[in-house]
Amino acid sequence: MMEHEIMREIIQEFFKKTLTLRLFWLSTAVILLFILPLFISTAYISLISEMLIMALAGCALNLMMGYTGMVSFGPAGLYAVGAYTTALLLKKTGIPFAATMVAGPIMAGLVGAVVGWFCVRRTAVYFALLTLAFAQIIWTIFFEWYDFTGGDDGTVGFRKPELLLSINSSYYFILLIVIICLILLWIIVNSPFGKTLQAIRENPVRTEFIGVNVKRYQLYAFIISSLFLGAAGSLFAVFSGSVFPDYAHWIKSTDMIVICLLGGMYNFLGPVIGSAVYIFLSKLISGYTMYWMLFLGIIVVFLVLFMRNGIAGFISHKIAPLIQENKETEK
Amino acid sequence: MIEVEGLTKSFGGLTAIDNVYLKFKKRELSSIIGPNGAGKTTLFNLITGHLSPDQGKIIFNGRDITNLPPHEISRVGIGRSFQRQNIFPRLSTFENIQIALFSAKHINGKLFSQAKNMLRDETDEILESVGLTDKKLMQAGYLAYGDQKRLEIGIALAIEPQLLLLDEPTAGMSPRETIEITKLIKKLVKKRGLTLIFIEHDMDIVFGISEKVKVMHQGRIIFEGTPKQVKANAEVQKIYLGKDKK
Repeated sequence: MMEHEIMREIIQEFFKKTLTLRLFWLSTAVILLFILPLFISTAYISLISEMLIMALAGCALNLMMGYTGMVSFGPAGLYAVGAYTTALLLKKTGIPFAATMVAGPIMAGLVGAVVGWFCVRRTAVYFALLTLAFAQIIWTIFFEWYDFTGGDDGTVGFRKPELLLSINSSYYFILLIVIICLILLWIIVNSPFGKTLQAIRENPVRTEFIGVNVKRYQLYAFIISSLFLGAAGSLFAVFSGSVFPDYAHWIKSTDMIVICLLGGMYNFLGPVIGSAVYIFLSKLISGYTMYWMLFLGIIVVFLVLFMRNGIAGFISHKIAPLIQENKETEK
Repeated sequence: MIEVEGLTKSFGGLTAIDNVYLKFKKRELSSIIGPNGAGKTTLFNLITGHLSPDQGKIIFNGRDITNLPPHEISRVGIGRSFQRQNIFPRLSTFENIQIALFSAKHINGKLFSQAKNMLRDETDEILESVGLTDKKLMQAGYLAYGDQKRLEIGIALAIEPQLLLLDEPTAGMSPRETIEITKLIKKLVKKRGLTLIFIEHDMDIVFGISEKVKVMHQGRIIFEGTPKQVKANAEVQKIYLGKDKK
């Protein structure tokens, strides 16, 4: 009898511990993502591919928004630069596929460096307006430059490596790249550089007085964010096989901002959760009614009023303490 | 150590700092006193590069630092604390100090190494010296007011300054906290061989810590001397201390 009791306690303890381990949950999720194509139809796989790409875009934006405290209204501009670079290179040149995938983020990073150089000169609402203006300039270029980009017909019919022709194989490709990018971003936000960005978010004036050139660090954050936004854009170009000016539109930027807010800005994986929930909801609701935008509005109102730290914030502040009582002492 | 020559700054029509000449010697503990609006905080903002002067020069260790941006001034060895608590509220107490140390050691540009365990001993040492060791994992914004002030001094110390500027370090504190923080400042400054300039309203602290006192009034320095001389001076009594006589 006694032994039985002890065994049960040990098992309970084991579950309590593993369930609260972040690494355990993460690896479970990753394994699940890798075996998913065995169980569900390709329609869902392509939906999840889209979620993964938007998760990366959200996390890239969040480096600026959640970690550095710079609210950008124009992330879609840089995302589109990545998408167009890859698409146009695939269409008009013969350079290897891998090179076009690298060129996308690099081009976005370069454009981000120029745009960011202007934007970091202003703060708060002026910064946001500048980013919006630049994104709309980028949109106009893609829209109007018909001979080169195809205007509103988009850039379509570019080559794709044979390996990525099936939905499942392109899903694996996207999954792999997104995971690599997220690991890189995770390393960056936890580095001394990432901590310095958080100090800037918390208190830019004080950060200046500990000897940090705040504007320069904000520019670095802008460039790094642009690189990863570009990577997400390149992935989406390859995934969908077509690129349109609307990728740069402010509506797309709004999607990314809502993804960050919905998932939680102050949590690294917040945008990943946000992307999954947002895209799922958008597909679900737009299947029933034309008024998806109406529901989007309601979601935003709800988020801003009742869930300021998003789903991830809600879980870690409200639900996690219920499961794990001694969190403070451990942390 | 630091010299201010003919410094002038006006806002609109108001001259906040009016042709001020000041000299502070190395390892000297000085205070600046004066009624509200005398220009004390403006003087600090000019020295630390938060504002740029209309006229005049600021010389630190023989180097002209006038018009340098704040981050460079902090790098030459001038640390400051602020009148209102000025910390990184959503980061832990530990991280508040650690990030300042990253900057001091020029490693805050490192992208690919994990910050968590870097400079742990150095950070702990500073936390210990300002008495926040047992609160190091707390979110800094939740610290009690007095502890936030301690943290601020800790952040200022982390950049290893030669000159420390403290703007009303005891403002808003209870009498007990005031005594503790005064002791702490005195101890830290002596131990580290710092030069200290502080703004203060509480005369007990001014006369308790400082070796030299500068009295400001309407943007001008109207008197300089030892605490004893200041107490004895009739003009200072009239303008400033008069109000304080209980």
